Amino acid sequence: MNPQVLIDGLMAGALYGLGAIGVTLTYSILRFANFAHSELLTFGAYAALALSSALGALSAGLLEPIAPFSFGWALPLAGLVAVALTGLLALAVDAILFGRLRHRRSSIIVMVMASFGAALTLRSLIEFAFTSKPAYFTRELQIALPLGQGMRATPDQLLSLALAAILVIGVHLLLTRTAIGRSMRAVSENQALAGVVGVDVRRVIRVVWLLGAALACIAGIMSGLLVQLRPYMGFDLLLPLFAAAILGGIGSVPGAMLAGLIVGLAEAATVQLVGAEWRTAVAFVILVLVLLLRPQGLLGRAQA
Amino acid sequence: MSAAPAPPPALATRDLVAGYERDLPIVRGIDFSVRQGEFVVILGPNGAGKSTLVKAIAGLVPIHSGSTHLAGEDITLSPVQEKVRHGLAFVPQTENIFATLSIRENLQLAADILPRGRQAAQIDEVYSLFPDLASRRGARAGNLSGGQRQMLAVARALVVKPSVLILDEPSAGLSPKIVGEVFARLKALNGAGITIVLVEQNVKAALAVADRAVILVEGKLRHEGPAATLSSDPIVGELYLGARARQGENGR
Repeated sequence: MNPQVLIDGLMAGALYGLGAIGVTLTYSILRFANFAHSELLTFGAYAALALSSALGALSAGLLEPIAPFSFGWALPLAGLVAVALTGLLALAVDAILFGRLRHRRSSIIVMVMASFGAALTLRSLIEFAFTSKPAYFTRELQIALPLGQGMRATPDQLLSLALAAILVIGVHLLLTRTAIGRSMRAVSENQALAGVVGVDVRRVIRVVWLLGAALACIAGIMSGLLVQLRPYMGFDLLLPLFAAAILGGIGSVPGAMLAGLIVGLAEAATVQLVGAEWRTAVAFVILVLVLLLRPQGLLGRAQA
Repeated sequence: MSAAPAPPPALATRDLVAGYERDLPIVRGIDFSVRQGEFVVILGPNGAGKSTLVKAIAGLVPIHSGSTHLAGEDITLSPVQEKVRHGLAFVPQTENIFATLSIRENLQLAADILPRGRQAAQIDEVYSLFPDLASRRGARAGNLSGGQRQMLAVARALVVKPSVLILDEPSAGLSPKIVGEVFARLKALNGAGITIVLVEQNVKAALAVADRAVILVEGKLRHEGPAATLSSDPIVGELYLGARARQGENGR
């Protein structure tokens, strides 16, 4: 097997992991599978594209690539604003849709169906605004650097991997070492008791949306940078994201990242060994196997 | 010279009507009051509304009408997470600890609402009351025995130094020996000045530690009196048996 599989798999896996962390957090705290999560990736990527184009129009110097990367300062600056906008979008969708359904004590299936509706709406609006033609953050060509053992990676890819690692460690520390992280874990285990202990559950829900949306936005920007932007870029990631969230164990941040890497590597290996047409089946097979063999996931806790 | 006005009761309800569904109140008009430093036990047959009453006070069950007061302050409308900031601590009957968090994290979570400078000292104070917990502070709470879990739930409630501690059947599922230990601990806490309200099925054990008992039947307060005299009062048995005869054994 070509060792390049490792790099390709890690790249895809880091993306899946970042997206899956958001899925696993919202799932464990809001208790429903949010199929609109992947649209936050798409929204984040397009928001960053629009903002970086605007910054570039204001000052062409911001589009000059920062060596050795393919993009200029416009992208990271636009990315920060896009993270905030994606967070606001998530809060808005919650206020307009999910929050109202929670208030009415709607069943899980109603929440899931509502998330399908929200996903469809967001995707169509993005397609309407940006057309379905693929878009790019940059047209610069990058030379992949040799990493030894026949592996190559572009500076953009290495940067994305490092950023993903930093974010995962950051989120893990946030959950395990801070008061808001403790509150999040408490709400995920027992919402009523968390309230009794003094946790403001509504605040925790807002933080979870913001955190999940921020990670989704960054994953979207990474995907747009390394591949391209399309209105369906998030939708195509939906299955791998959920496969990773469930394989990792719902609620587990390290689990989501580890499982994201596993799904990414399994896909890359399948492309090499079986054929590219089987790539999308991999996440589905993993999802089915986990649900049959270890429903609590790799690092999840068994339901009492 | 007139006497100083009596202090407001530590905890009181006025004509409280509460229940999960509006058209089916379980608590049906209860006036109930607990003096500062008192140890009161709420008794009654299954389905009398004991748990619903304390859950409504704690903010976990909707209140349809009437009001709840803590040291004279109306807390009827304050959301559940605010009541503990007013000094009301509640220990639910089941699932009253966070099993996936460590002992230390369970206590720290409760302490998070305190000013940062006081958190460590108050957790240490609770550890000194519960040395068993102190020696295992890193352990996952889910690995504790039933009695230890109950102790942790009480310890967690004490971290914020509540003025009133309400417990919903802390003896459920525990062996008589452990029940004795838990109740002795509650009695000691009461001796240290904490007002305690206890919901119990275990009538004998509860009357042995409480100052006063109230008996609920079908969502109403039917009788109250000093614990010492109630244990020999035939009305206790009558209220239990009467209610049981009327509703059969299918009440909740």
